Amino acid sequence: MARKLTVVLSQAPGKHPAKRGLEESVAAALLVEPGVELAVVPNLYDLGPDHTGRLFLDAVRGDMVVISWLYPRAAFWLLDRNGIKGHYGETALKPPADDDEEETDTDTPVEKKETIGPAGTIPDRHIYTLDFRDAKSPGPFVDEVRRILAECKSRHEAKASSPPPALLELGLPAKSPIEPGLAAFSPDQLLADAGRRWYPVIDYSRCTNCLECLDFCLFGVYGVDDHDRIVTENQDQCKKGCPACSRVCPEQAIIFPEYKSAAIAGANDGVVGGLKIDLSKLFGGDAGDAITAAVAERDRELVADGRQAVGATIGIPKRQEGRDHKPKDELDKLADSLDDLGV
Amino acid sequence: MGKHPAPLPGDRRYCRNHMWCKATDDGYRFGFTAYAVRLMQDVYFLEWSVDAGAAVAARQPIGFLESSKAQSELYAPLAGTVLRFNPSLLNDPSAINVDGYNAGWLFDLSGDPVGTLDVHEYRDFLTAGWEHTQRLLKKQVHETEDE
Repeated sequence: MARKLTVVLSQAPGKHPAKRGLEESVAAALLVEPGVELAVVPNLYDLGPDHTGRLFLDAVRGDMVVISWLYPRAAFWLLDRNGIKGHYGETALKPPADDDEEETDTDTPVEKKETIGPAGTIPDRHIYTLDFRDAKSPGPFVDEVRRILAECKSRHEAKASSPPPALLELGLPAKSPIEPGLAAFSPDQLLADAGRRWYPVIDYSRCTNCLECLDFCLFGVYGVDDHDRIVTENQDQCKKGCPACSRVCPEQAIIFPEYKSAAIAGANDGVVGGLKIDLSKLFGGDAGDAITAAVAERDRELVADGRQAVGATIGIPKRQEGRDHKPKDELDKLADSLDDLGV
Repeated sequence: MGKHPAPLPGDRRYCRNHMWCKATDDGYRFGFTAYAVRLMQDVYFLEWSVDAGAAVAARQPIGFLESSKAQSELYAPLAGTVLRFNPSLLNDPSAINVDGYNAGWLFDLSGDPVGTLDVHEYRDFLTAGWEHTQRLLKKQVHETEDE
């Protein structure tokens, strides 16, 4: 099949010269790559529903590679939330020093708890989300795009040679829909300034719909859909810089892709490569546990809005509740004896 | 405390967030101490999230930096009004490393320098905090959950 692979580069917000340099060299290398259709858009996270870049992404029907300065998980669920859906394409591009980490297969996650999972119909295509931070030169990105191109081609060939499973096709858009193609979008419009935005992205492969975020956030960001599933109802009511609900989430399912700490920005658990030491606590940041930090952040935003700070009186998960009623086990006894020592 | 000497000039006061603080005509000037620079190493990216003229609360996040070894949110050392940021750092923050006590100053702030330390107090603060600092750094190397 002569289908092209769409590669979308999402620029870094701001004008970080090193980041812009890498974007430009990757773009230059991919521009001459056969079988690739290249588009450059502003930071994916900042694209509002009316931005040309977003309309372009909506229009792409085939397999897609998105290279952004976001963690792959964050970029994938960000697109999903915006209705740009597909199967999660596993990338072979990994952060440096990540060799011995176990691969997690996001297509078929091993779930301990029941999660919401992807909603609606997933079109028959794959979306690969690569992270610009995973390599310092264009070479690895070009190699990975070539690998994905080959992977998609063989996947389509395998599909074409076997009779289509009739059931899977139900409810999908008609085959070979007319794509407007990249030519329909002018590069200037694609790159129009998108402004900066700030809102949570829910990873539905982790979210268990416990609704603790809905209870905790007092700014009306969260709501539920017709099936009582959590959704970010009012993205733009979210308070810039505040990641409090993410700290409260027991499953680490809430991503703020631009938050400085990797865990909240959507890094996979156990990803160490490329991470830097965070000196924030030494330089005056709040120390303490996640709930305390979340309460302080929420109060700061409430006061900035001219409202009353509520401290820990509203929406605090009571995960320890009821513990006292259980008979004490060995660990409890040990803890008690330590308490008695007064150390 | 470490093997490397971290010079601390006696002509200024110090903050617990590892900034120095020196009176100017209209307020106080702040910059990183040699200790902070030693931890960060080469700073190559610095941005401020508030504008000059903004009123800030103590410990309010006001910016972000990234260096060869570390990244950090930056916090206001005291409550007051930001008078100006060092314009020469915005395109090239290397002066933080080269001349952190003079040309590499970060910002001027007007406010009450309550809670700042003199050089001896800051030295004691560093010595007392060194164990904790090492624990904090080593902990991060071993686990990625930094919250």
